[in-house]
Amino acid sequence: MSDTTQKIQRNSWEHPWGYVESFFIGFGLIVTGLFLELFVASGNEFSVSYPYNMCFIVGYSVSLLVAYKWFSHIQLIRWLTKVPASISSIALVTLLVMVMGIIPQVPSENNFIQNFGLNRMTSNWAFLLILFQFLTCLGLITIKRILQFSWSNFGFVLNHLGLFLALIAGVLGSGDLQRLTVDVYEGKPSWIATDSNNNQIELPFAFYLKDFMIEEYNPKLALVDNKSGSIAHNNGKNLYLVEKGETYFFKNYQVTINEYLATSGKLGEGYYFVNEVGSPPSASVTVKNTATDSIAKGWISSGSFRYPYESLKISEDYSIVMTIPEAKKFSSDIDILTNEGERISTILEVNKSFKFEGWNIYQLSYDDRKGKWSELSVIELVRDPWLPIIYTGIFMMIAGAIYMFWVGNKITKKD
Amino acid sequence: MTWIDFPLYSGIVGLFWLVGFIVLLLSYKKGKLLKFAHVFILLGWCILIAFVAKLWVELDRPPMRTLGETRLWYATFLPLIGFVTYIRWRYKWFLAYSIAMAGMFLVVNYLNPETYSKTLMPALQSPWFVPHVLVYLFSYAVLAASSIVAIKGWVDNYQGNFSMETLKLADNLVYIGFAFLTLGLLFGALWAKEAWGHYWTWDPKEVWAFLTWMGYLIYIHYRYFHVQKTKQALTILALAFVVLLVCWFGVNYLPVANTSVHTYTQG
Repeated sequence: MSDTTQKIQRNSWEHPWGYVESFFIGFGLIVTGLFLELFVASGNEFSVSYPYNMCFIVGYSVSLLVAYKWFSHIQLIRWLTKVPASISSIALVTLLVMVMGIIPQVPSENNFIQNFGLNRMTSNWAFLLILFQFLTCLGLITIKRILQFSWSNFGFVLNHLGLFLALIAGVLGSGDLQRLTVDVYEGKPSWIATDSNNNQIELPFAFYLKDFMIEEYNPKLALVDNKSGSIAHNNGKNLYLVEKGETYFFKNYQVTINEYLATSGKLGEGYYFVNEVGSPPSASVTVKNTATDSIAKGWISSGSFRYPYESLKISEDYSIVMTIPEAKKFSSDIDILTNEGERISTILEVNKSFKFEGWNIYQLSYDDRKGKWSELSVIELVRDPWLPIIYTGIFMMIAGAIYMFWVGNKITKKD
Repeated sequence: MTWIDFPLYSGIVGLFWLVGFIVLLLSYKKGKLLKFAHVFILLGWCILIAFVAKLWVELDRPPMRTLGETRLWYATFLPLIGFVTYIRWRYKWFLAYSIAMAGMFLVVNYLNPETYSKTLMPALQSPWFVPHVLVYLFSYAVLAASSIVAIKGWVDNYQGNFSMETLKLADNLVYIGFAFLTLGLLFGALWAKEAWGHYWTWDPKEVWAFLTWMGYLIYIHYRYFHVQKTKQALTILALAFVVLLVCWFGVNYLPVANTSVHTYTQG
């Protein structure tokens, strides 16, 4: 009920519809959707692809315009342009997304969750129906404000039209989104990609990996409980990087790093500089127990896929260990080979993708068991033809947010 | 590592703020004391900023990764918001609140040090990292302030001296906070496209960030159309903040947590 009508006694479903009717319709849509899930849905992903999604978007937008322009005397259309319909649909979309935020969106043992599709919310009919109502309200209101254009509506149009474009292109364009991965090995050309359903797809071009490069942080130092095997200080956090000459304190132990070798091999009791595949980092440490003044000295190593790790036992309860180094940066020096005989060289890196023939090419991962000796680089290819529309929407909303920050709200400004 | 200096710095900052806070309370009786309160609070704030700057330089990465670090930013932003709001609206209690909250975050950080590791995984090494997180933290701080206003509104309502001004303050904070929330969400989407190949993947943190956004969206629309229904508006505002809290750290405790790319707490 809006403020102007609240004092007037009225019955349900009497015009104009208020909050009670709006939520009733909204819940009706949700229940309908859930029953569709239960009896009709096959569990397939909802997706429409080009040209059907394009036709739908154009047809839908035109019918919204027609509905607003010539049929706004119809109760249903008028209701959709009013506040109760908007607020109830925002609230119900929120409700369903909240379900998504609580129930993991993976196949479930629970029959209730599985049958009603609560674990596949983005393709659930209840969600799609409510989202459809939400979009319809949003679209009609946007059209209304555009048609009665004034500069004071500028921020409103940016925010609402931006959201409309981003949402509709995002939801309906997802059918055209392609995400493929390619495993590329050093010194070998690869052109077979795998999609999300594990289908093999032949690409019209090939990747040739010249070199896979990885930069690592130094390994970290940790105090480990001999019985449980878990890290025994600072709740397993706050580990220190191994650097030559540094001194760290763990409980009552003073640990000094005498020597650090980034790649090394064991010979007798000690480690020496060796640089070959699988040579792990190692460090010589001196550990002083400040309570008893006793000193332990020895080598520790994180080990690698080829060599075992080495820890230093400093008491009945504790050992000092070196963790496996974390990756700082990884990149692939690749050539893209086309059927026409072209050869394009580029370096792919995380956060630095490469655009080629409508594809965005990303550095995805590598053989993490082998770490910096990995000869495998996993490359991801993404094609999303709807991106320009989504970005238009996103940038309109960014502009709208800045406008909103600058201008503030109208409620306060009125007086 | 400069986090080792944190107890020293936070101790000094806390002392300045405590004195400033007490003087601020005393200024309700003696108006002249207000200037001194400002000086103490500002001095404490400058020291905190110096610490944050030093931390940033010495970590070689933006200190915005761990919960402890985000709390530090929260403590840094709250006094700023307190002062700006004070300058605009002249609410002393709001300044006192923001200082008390900021002080509380320093205490939490002192008692519960989080990981202050120097390493940063490759996906986080992006020019989007700083704007995404800073904008979010600023937004959270402003929205947290708006929820305190909501609580004050409830108390006033209960005592029968509710003033529309309180809700207007909440409106202003929500508009500013919501604008930044939108920016944070969208910067996140743009970054995700660069780093992970898709702008939106319904990752649990994304889901809850979206819910937070929707919560404040409901408040804004409700307030816009139902100016006189203050109690309902206050309730919506309080609920929206609960969703924000779930998004901020509650997500880690939900059954969906293990599928999130936003948990960066590995050793």
